[in-house]
Amino acid sequence: MALFYKQIKFRFFKYIPIILLFFISLKGSSIVDLKIISINIHYILVYYWVLRSPQSLGYGFIFISGIITDVILGFPLGINALSLLIIAAVATYVRVVTVRITLINDWISFIPALLIANLVYFFSLYLSDFSVEYFYFFKNSIFTFIFYPILWIIFSLISKLSEY
Amino acid sequence: METSREDFGIVIRSALLKKGTKQRFSLFALVILSIALIFLETIDLKPLNYFRSFIKDTIYRGSMIITAPLKVFGNISSNTKEHFNLFESYEKLKKENKLLKNTISKSDFLELENTQLRKLIEEQTSSLKNFVSARVLIDKQSPYLNSFIINSGSNKNIKNGMAALSGENFIGRTVDVNFFSSRVLLVSDLNSKIPVIVEPLAYHAILSGHGKKVPTLDFLPEDHEIQNEDKVYTSGKEGIFSPGIPIGKVKIKKDLIQVLLFSDLNQVTFINIDLGKSVSSK
Repeated sequence: MALFYKQIKFRFFKYIPIILLFFISLKGSSIVDLKIISINIHYILVYYWVLRSPQSLGYGFIFISGIITDVILGFPLGINALSLLIIAAVATYVRVVTVRITLINDWISFIPALLIANLVYFFSLYLSDFSVEYFYFFKNSIFTFIFYPILWIIFSLISKLSEY
Repeated sequence: METSREDFGIVIRSALLKKGTKQRFSLFALVILSIALIFLETIDLKPLNYFRSFIKDTIYRGSMIITAPLKVFGNISSNTKEHFNLFESYEKLKKENKLLKNTISKSDFLELENTQLRKLIEEQTSSLKNFVSARVLIDKQSPYLNSFIINSGSNKNIKNGMAALSGENFIGRTVDVNFFSSRVLLVSDLNSKIPVIVEPLAYHAILSGHGKKVPTLDFLPEDHEIQNEDKVYTSGKEGIFSPGIPIGKVKIKKDLIQVLLFSDLNQVTFINIDLGKSVSSK
């Protein structure tokens, strides 16, 4: 019985990253806005799981999640998918070149991921004739970076719970 | 130096080109696919449009199902709040009712006078409204896009650029029409520019959204005399929308001329889409 319970718990927490990824996309809440604070939880989710536990989050799922976000938010297909894949690419690169995993390392390496992804996002929107508010873009990047450690701790707890 | 360049190449190859453990696709292939999709969006071909419509319709329905439990929970909490504020709203409604009763007699007289005057100049007096009603499936007001997804599309003869009304008031226009769903771009969106007329002085202007609740008036004449409470209607210029659809009233805040919308965009459940003119003359 205990083994059965353990197996269910393991399977549930194993699929949490995918469930969260698709829930965020289908609900269209990749960006959380709380008055002046604006955080892109989609970026943090993808970066953390690709960096720490790549077997939990396939690139194919990230791509589909990006396409769903594009449809829900009304952007041309491919824009969010591309920026999420760029986040995943930087995370994969960082995973290959680093040995020690610490919050500080992850946090600092998140800066180039965020910058490149937002740059690509911005240019894709610009080329698709979408007006964007530059200040909002900047604010979103800053708060996403600041809130990374909080979500890092939450995801680390989930990751520990999914260990068999 | 040579070795570090080689190392970099190996890392890039391993990270982007090779499939990772338990990965079915390489990152590089998916990035190329995303770029190809972005470029495909610019191509206007019928089979591609059908394919896009199918994908969008499917995703909208999926999103509706996923968000349904959350909506139910939200409704329960707002109902509870309303219940607690019952007495307060009753008092408010009582006052409003008194005011309305006073104004009804005035407006009846004005309507009668208006009809008689129109008859006198033999103008087209009755316009048969050609509306299609639709329900809001997804209410997505993100900082990037303020829009609604409605449950009617080309199956109900909706086309791109048609006016969307909440009751009788203008709130936006259709921008992305699929078979069974459409996207309505709200007047508050950053990409929304609507030609309007400001009454009573009949100034033409453009109503621009800013991604926030309140849109503003642009391109007004320099020496305009717009005042608070002036009414804003669609101008019908260039034949985009029918003229005279009410939008909101003016509120001047410092140098900005804001427009307070007649409809609360957070409370819209049903939308009327104006399919076009269907006018009969008397």
